[in-house]
Amino acid sequence: MRVLLVEDDADLSRQLKGALSDAGYAVDHAADGEEAHFLGDTEPYDVVVLDLGLPKIDGVSVLERWRRDGKTTPVLILTARGAWSDKVSGFDAGADDYLTKPFHTEELLARLRALLRRSAGIAVATLSCGGLRLDPKAARATVNGEPLRLTSLEYRLLHYMMMHQGRVISRTELVEHLYDQDFDRDSNTIEVFIGRLRKKVGADRIETVRGLGYRLTPLAGETEAA
Amino acid sequence: MTDETAAGAGWGRFIGRPGRSLTRRLIWLASAWIVVALAATGWILTTQYQESAFRRLGDMLSDTIDEVVIATVATPDGVTVAEIRDAPTLRGLSGKYWMVAEVLPDGAVRVLARSPSLAGETLYIAPELPARLQASMGDLLTYNDPGILRPPQRQPLRIAASLKTLPGRTEPVVFMAGIDRSDIEADTREFAAYVWIALLALGVGLVIAVFLQVQIGLRPLFALRNEIANVRKGRAARIEHAYPLEIQPLAEQVNRLLDHNQEVVERQRTHVGNLAHALKTPLSVMLAEAEGKIDPLAEIVRRQTEVMKGQVDHHLRRARAAARAAHGLGERTPVGEVIDEMAVMLERVFQSKDVEIDWRAPDDLAFLGERQDLQEILGNLMENACKWSTRRVRVSAGASGLGQMIAVVEDDGPGLPEDQRAAVLKRGTRLDEDAPGSGLGLSIVDDLTRAYGGRLTLGASDLGGLKAVLELPAAE
Repeated sequence: MRVLLVEDDADLSRQLKGALSDAGYAVDHAADGEEAHFLGDTEPYDVVVLDLGLPKIDGVSVLERWRRDGKTTPVLILTARGAWSDKVSGFDAGADDYLTKPFHTEELLARLRALLRRSAGIAVATLSCGGLRLDPKAARATVNGEPLRLTSLEYRLLHYMMMHQGRVISRTELVEHLYDQDFDRDSNTIEVFIGRLRKKVGADRIETVRGLGYRLTPLAGETEAA
Repeated sequence: MTDETAAGAGWGRFIGRPGRSLTRRLIWLASAWIVVALAATGWILTTQYQESAFRRLGDMLSDTIDEVVIATVATPDGVTVAEIRDAPTLRGLSGKYWMVAEVLPDGAVRVLARSPSLAGETLYIAPELPARLQASMGDLLTYNDPGILRPPQRQPLRIAASLKTLPGRTEPVVFMAGIDRSDIEADTREFAAYVWIALLALGVGLVIAVFLQVQIGLRPLFALRNEIANVRKGRAARIEHAYPLEIQPLAEQVNRLLDHNQEVVERQRTHVGNLAHALKTPLSVMLAEAEGKIDPLAEIVRRQTEVMKGQVDHHLRRARAAARAAHGLGERTPVGEVIDEMAVMLERVFQSKDVEIDWRAPDDLAFLGERQDLQEILGNLMENACKWSTRRVRVSAGASGLGQMIAVVEDDGPGLPEDQRAAVLKRGTRLDEDAPGSGLGLSIVDDLTRAYGGRLTLGASDLGGLKAVLELPAAE
């Protein structure tokens, strides 16, 4: 497994590099944003450890560029500030996990293992409906190339609707497929989630068919994206 | 300094007492002036009208006296008056009269001749008339008959009298003329009534005009007051509208103050962030260095690094909270948005546990405070819930009465026994040394919530785990 370690502090870099090598990773190290962006763009890494406070280009910008270029490599961000707003902007840029400094090396290794396990799932084709795309492998969805921020229930809802796009799906069917056995199966809550999903993907994409249920369709004029 | 204080006190007198209405003051002042000015005007107009009417009557009386004087000739036993061809003085009780009399040495008055119109009656002689006539020989004196004269007509008369000497007689003679003044008085009364009605209408009109002027004139001030209130309630970030010259500087100063506050907060925050960065990377290095080594030194470094980390976190948040408190004015943060971004992020972070966050919040619910602070509060609570949950985390928020909101974060984890709930809110307490994270989450939430005048209480959830209830200020 190849890991890209992006960290500007020399001591911490040395320690992490040692720990990662000991854990069996092939480690490349970048000390600033520019170098990190170049390496991440050219080398096929399995996972990236990215510090947010970097010289030249900051971590969030580096991550944004990778995601814009279509790189789906899982990224774990390291933040020293510890403010939730930093974590949120990291996630908006496309991060998969965060760790607040100072942290235990063991925890970093555990998180990396989890990320790799997640991304190693069997390859599934990307789903699309007009400008809407959903990548089940990375568990990410985009609308016109912009990443969507979805909770797991919203993601499952969208996933199910995209697999059955163009067909009217009843509320009961949605409840049965979205909730586990132990959840309260209140079909009214589906309306709440449909409402939230509409707000995120665009209201016109999800059509309400009175008395029957909902239907996901591409917008008028949108061609089926390649 | 003393000069300034004195000047300040001097101005204080014009600024008015606190708690009094500016509108009422302006309207009272203007109304008082309008009433005084209109009353004076009314009084001057009516008295002038009456005086000019009396002057006209006086002229007529003077003419009559002149005619009588010309027609009068002295005789040894009195006077004779030749016939005067003036119809009103001939017709009985016509309203126009003359009389000739002499003042006896004892002060009594003896009538020498009178107009036929008097029909034997006598013109009213004012008490001090003889004395005053003698004091001003030849002058015309005028006065009103108080109206006791002569039933059945009861004519109120205007009377003129003059003391003159006649050729061939040593004793001076009093010539008097009288004329009915009831018409003139009715005229004057009618005029006065018109004047007072007109002035009253004018006065009411002016007071209304003043009221409107004050209302319209002070409207920008009311608008500014509302805008400032909106800023305070978190409905607006700054004063947006342009105002008239007089109060535009005030609006600008308010904005400058808001900017300044914001700047101070931002600076503090950047400073705190930089400090965090500067301290935490070395702490990471120390922690990593000590890890994996089994010796007493490494153990001490590991433990002390944890303590330092806790201290740094706590004091950095404190500094941030203080900066926010100094900021004072509220910002509007949509609660649903913050819960949503936290839920999306945390579900991803805790994906290996397959944690599901079910959240409900009305779309229009907004927290009165900074977004970063709500992120901090909810982020820590929700992260904590995810950490301890088996699978499910529930977040529900809603408005609760005036200017308040409640947010509840629950999980289906093991929960906390009642006696430990208070302890976890204390700084640095960590109940489980093995759980990832600082263990400071809840005490930070408690600190921040208190800084907003809110409250954090812990209880048991029907999901089985911990239930954290937040009370926070809400924006309207």
